[in-house]
This record gives sequence, structure tokens and C-alpha cells, in this order.
Amino acid sequence: MTRNSTFRLIAATPLIALLAACGGETTDAEAPEPAGDAPAEIAERQDNFEAIGDSFKAIREQLETDAPDFAVIEPAAADINTRLQRLPDLFPEGTSMEAGYDTEALAAIWEDPEGFNEAIQTAVGLSEEMMAAAATGDPEAVGAQVGNLGKNGCKNCHDSFRKDDD
Amino acid sequence: MAEPTQPVRIWDLPVRLTHWSLAVLVPAMWVTADNSEWGWHIRLGHVLLAVLLFRIFWGFVGTDTARFGNFLKGPGKVLAYLRGGYDEKANKGHSPLAALAVLGLLGFTLAQVAMGLFAGDPYDGATGPLNPLVGVGTADTLTDTHEWFWWVVVGMIGLHITAIGIYGAVRAENLIGAMIGGKGEKKLVVSDNSPTPWGRALGAFAVAAGIALWIYLGAPPLT
Repeated sequence: MTRNSTFRLIAATPLIALLAACGGETTDAEAPEPAGDAPAEIAERQDNFEAIGDSFKAIREQLETDAPDFAVIEPAAADINTRLQRLPDLFPEGTSMEAGYDTEALAAIWEDPEGFNEAIQTAVGLSEEMMAAAATGDPEAVGAQVGNLGKNGCKNCHDSFRKDDD
Repeated sequence: MAEPTQPVRIWDLPVRLTHWSLAVLVPAMWVTADNSEWGWHIRLGHVLLAVLLFRIFWGFVGTDTARFGNFLKGPGKVLAYLRGGYDEKANKGHSPLAALAVLGLLGFTLAQVAMGLFAGDPYDGATGPLNPLVGVGTADTLTDTHEWFWWVVVGMIGLHITAIGIYGAVRAENLIGAMIGGKGEKKLVVSDNSPTPWGRALGAFAVAAGIALWIYLGAPPLT
């Protein structure tokens, strides 16, 4: 009988562990628990970045086709530009990953505000170049700007200011 | 009363090692993803791929209870099992219903790993090694599916653990002990599992690990 209840305990352990793992999504053991609800800016900026990613992908998808549709590319390029300009307002102090929020925004953003702002302005500038390329109707010009904006705009900023280790 | 039983060898060591590796690796995949540890997520994902491939190969060249051909049964046998026409003590290895769980666990996990190989965006964080082989839209769809399909894998694992719990509690069948020590109490008519062909185990593992490593390196010359 003791044998049996031991087995039951062993059988239940992984289930309990699994449930605990599923429930533990919002609580990070290492990070301090932030007071109150998460600031709205965190969700706003995440939605904004998602939308930028979607527009960027929409452009790249068009470039993969034989006849890229500039009726898709041009508004997508404009959308990226508009949304990048919103970024400076979406990073209020104390909304870093280190502050315990469910975000990948590193404290480096607030430790190096000039560097962060410069990275945003670089991306905004590159998105204007993308808009100019889109206006020419030349897929190759747009393709060149995809690489330029992707590497020197998006990735450049992610490397320094977003948790993203390979 | 009950017929006499004796300890019988059921699971070979490669099957047991595979099983417990999966039990460690699959939750580790969740933890690494939840903490955005993409480097580890990808490395462990390839170890997981190697383990899954090995188990599939072992299902063709392994011991009696490891082989798909021996434990996969038709719907008739599954129904008979569900109606109670299966003597747990007179059989060893996966029951007809458990065989379906094995297919589900291996199949869903492999599908999840396969999607991860193509997931991600080169301009936005980590990517699976085969990401360059598909278009932006396809990669995006696979990435999204990779995210929700995890819950399908969790559901299958939940079923699996629940079934073991029921066996332990209701039928007092020690399935976990058998998966650790390899042996279980069976009626005297049940014979030991076939001996482990270690040469073939090594060969299957080498091929599985080789394929996983090749994919990790970007499957040259494909990418």
C-alpha cells in the first residue's frame, strides 16, 4: 500500500510541475515584483513594433513576387515611418525588463538616452529613404532599402537596447 | 486470487534514456522561449531533434517493445482495449491506446521542432537555421503556428501524464518504475524484451545526431 501511494506521488509530480510552469508566466523569480499594473505604454509599444514588423514583412513579401505591388509597398513604407516616430513617447522611465515587466526593453534605454534616441532617429531617417525608394516604383531600390533599414535601423537598435541573445 | 507474476524486462535502456531526455528537454524549450534565451532555445531544440530522430530510427531497428511495427495496432485492437479486452499483466510494452499516445507525443513534438527550424525573422532576432529556405510570409506563418502549437504539445503531454496517474491510482500499475528501471511485474507467460543491439543503437544515434548537426549548421549547401 505504501508502495502504491509513493507511485501516485511520483505520478502526480510532473503534472504539478507542468501546471506550476504554465501558471508562472507573469512572475519572474529573479526580477522584483513591480507595483501596480503594467504601464499602458508597454503594450502600446509592443503593438506598434508588431505593426512595424508586419508592414516590413508586407514589403519583403512583395519583393519576393515576380511583380511587386507598389500599392502595398508605398503605404507600408509610410506606416513604418509614422510608427517609428511614435517610439520616443512609448518608453517612459521604469518600464524596463529589469524593472520586472514582461518586456524585452533593456535598462540600457534609460542609461543611454542619447544613444537610444539616436538609434530611433537613424531608423526614422532610413524609413524616409525607404519611402523615397518606394515612390520610384523600382523593386531593386526598395530591396536595397530593406537591407539598409533592417540592419542599420531595426537590428542595430535591437542589438543594444532589446534583450536578444543568440 | 491473482495469478503469480515475475519481473520482466520491458523497456531497453535507449528507450528509457530517450524518454527522460524528452521529459527534460521539452520543458526546457518552454523555459528558454519564455525567457527569450533564443541561443539556448535553438541549441536545445537541435538536441531535441536528435533525440526525436533517434527514437524514430529506434522504432525500426530497436528491441521488440521499441518497434512501431510491434506496438502500433489497428482501430479494432484500440476499441477492444477501450472495452477492457486487454490484459495488462499478460502483455508488455505499449498498449494499443498508448501506441497512439506515442505517435502523438513524437509526432506533435517533431512537428513543433520542424516549424521552429524555419521560424523567426533575420531582421528581428533569432531565426531557425532553415529560415532562409522559405519566404517571409511562410516564415511568419510558421512562427505564429510554432507559438500556439506548443499548447497542442502540452495537451498531449497532459493526456500522457494523466493516463499514467490513472494507471497508478486506479489500476496500481507502476508505469513510472518500469520506465526508470526497465522492468515490470508480468504474468509468467510474458517473456523478457529482446536484447539491446548496441551497435545499431550507436549507429542510429550517430545518424540522428549527424542530421541534427547538419541542420544546425544551416543544412549546407541548401542555405
